[in-house]
Amino acid sequence: MIDRIAFLARVEKYHKAGWRLSLINATTIMPAEGMDHGAFDVAWAFARGTEFETIRERIMPGDELPSISESFGAAFLYENEMRELFGINVTGIGLDLQGQLYKTAARVPFSPSAIRARLEALGRPEPVAKHGTATASGTATASGAAEKPGAAEKPA
Amino acid sequence: MANPLKLPMVRRSLRNLVSRPATRRYPYEIRPRFEGARGTIEFDVETCNYCMLCARRCPAAAITVSREDRVWAIEHLTCIGCNVCVEVCAKKSLTMSKESKPVHTRAEVGPQGQRPGHEEWHKPAPAEAPAVS
Amino acid sequence: MKRTVIPMGPQHPVLPEPLVLDLILEDEKVVDAIPTIGYVHRGLEMMVERVEYTEMGFVVERICGICSFMHGMGYCVSLESIMNVEVPDRARWLRLIWAEISRVQSHLLWLGLGADAFGFENLFMHCWRMREQILDIFEKTTGGRIIHSVNRIGGVKRDISDSALAAILLEMQALGAAFKETARVFGTDPSIAHRLGGVGVLSTEDARAVDAVGPMARASGIATDTRLIGANFYDRLEFEPLVETAGDCLARVVVRMREIDQSIDLIRQAIDKMPKGEGQPIENKPRGNPLGEVFTRLEQPRGEVLYYVKANGTKNLERFRARTPTFANIPAMIKLVKGCDLADVPNIILTIDPCISCTER
Repeated sequence: MIDRIAFLARVEKYHKAGWRLSLINATTIMPAEGMDHGAFDVAWAFARGTEFETIRERIMPGDELPSISESFGAAFLYENEMRELFGINVTGIGLDLQGQLYKTAARVPFSPSAIRARLEALGRPEPVAKHGTATASGTATASGAAEKPGAAEKPA
Repeated sequence: MANPLKLPMVRRSLRNLVSRPATRRYPYEIRPRFEGARGTIEFDVETCNYCMLCARRCPAAAITVSREDRVWAIEHLTCIGCNVCVEVCAKKSLTMSKESKPVHTRAEVGPQGQRPGHEEWHKPAPAEAPAVS
Repeated sequence: MKRTVIPMGPQHPVLPEPLVLDLILEDEKVVDAIPTIGYVHRGLEMMVERVEYTEMGFVVERICGICSFMHGMGYCVSLESIMNVEVPDRARWLRLIWAEISRVQSHLLWLGLGADAFGFENLFMHCWRMREQILDIFEKTTGGRIIHSVNRIGGVKRDISDSALAAILLEMQALGAAFKETARVFGTDPSIAHRLGGVGVLSTEDARAVDAVGPMARASGIATDTRLIGANFYDRLEFEPLVETAGDCLARVVVRMREIDQSIDLIRQAIDKMPKGEGQPIENKPRGNPLGEVFTRLEQPRGEVLYYVKANGTKNLERFRARTPTFANIPAMIKLVKGCDLADVPNIILTIDPCISCTER
């Protein structure tokens, strides 16, 4: 669950300090061992000149995510896309396009169940969650050495 | 109303009127493609050892190889011209020629049901001469 | 007053790509505009499930035909950050040179389309004739006119010899000199001044409020340029963001024209500073699978593009997101369209340099 007041206050601080909204991105986290349903990793990226910072939150399916349209009016496109492709419940979007933004064949193509169905159809097991750590703020660059070098079948 | 002679594009327009056209009269004049242009993939059936690396690395899955039947086939219209197969082939059986791919205007279907743009090489047992279909 | 609704799009002669704007008019003034996109949505971000990370570069560079090189470059730069691959110097210079040539090509394309939007077909053809020379340069050096496929993770696949680079520089400088005539047309033609001057004014505060990027922001007085971050060897070159203050369509035309000259100068600086000589390494192949995530920002011709790549140690990436500059400029376009005349709508849509294929991936 996301603390609405604190979150919106944090976003408004960025707005007052002259930052520009650069991206609102959602990533589906497939349910790993110990989780009974998937989750979404949402990142809000702000840029000011050469500086770049992100807010990262983990959302459960069905959680209500407040829109930041009051601070950043341009957020409506990203939030409409998040709602349509991921099924994240974003409330209060400035310009609500009612699910008509992209006309996809499947209803919510990036929900955990849809991704699992596609991976099974491709005959691939779900990837084991070995995520790099996501930092809550600051440039989220987490690089780590690959842990399965044997999977590469080609010589250099 | 502006004086037409003062419009800055007029001089260029008059020059265009009396100079040769900037466009080529395709298909009667065809510009030869530059060296190194990405065109069509060419295959040399003699040197291939059916390691299947090209089929595995093709991003568009345009190449099908069968080691048991000794068949190598490519769908030219699926090929995106990325050159990865040429780079990974250890026997240098593949080259990228600069000629453009042939244009298929009708949905021609070959005797074995091949689609337009499909090209296939068979290499039967070494005693016989190889056949191209 | 009676209101009429005119749907503009998805197919329209001035639009390079399909876009629908339902214009609500009172007499000839646009009161409101409701956008609908999604006609070119190909689901390219879903391809990460099917396509391995080595092959995803080819998918990414086909997101758009105009900005193709920088998409490929951005993907490879992101993966190189994740996998800690050291790219050889010559490869990075070559990428910079190709990127700047791509910027010139994109601006020339846009100048032609912008002229065509208000009917100046002669100028449109003239700009595109100049652009053909650049596409020939691309075919000679990369093998393809629009889709280049030279970027690989760890470097580039083709080298350009020093003599070829010198010849390219001469060609680009000749193009820049020939472009001066076109720039004069854009600057002094009375019909262009009438159609574009004072139209679609975006003030500095409004540009900040709608989070405009690229030439949209620079023409409204905001000195922002993602190349100033200094990544990819841009910190070794001298340049400044080109800023205009008028904020109208004509100012955006002027910004893009000046950027053509700036890019040709950057190519000259890069060729000067490159390490010379034959046989230098241009690719450093990575080993293993990527693990980690990264945000990468580049300056495409239309503004700041942002890539988010998340990899989980397998051959398939987990998430790839390309937030293209047109995606960020669409709120600006919607804001500008409200309150303008019906005849100005095509000019305003074209002025954000819409690349709807990029927006919808």
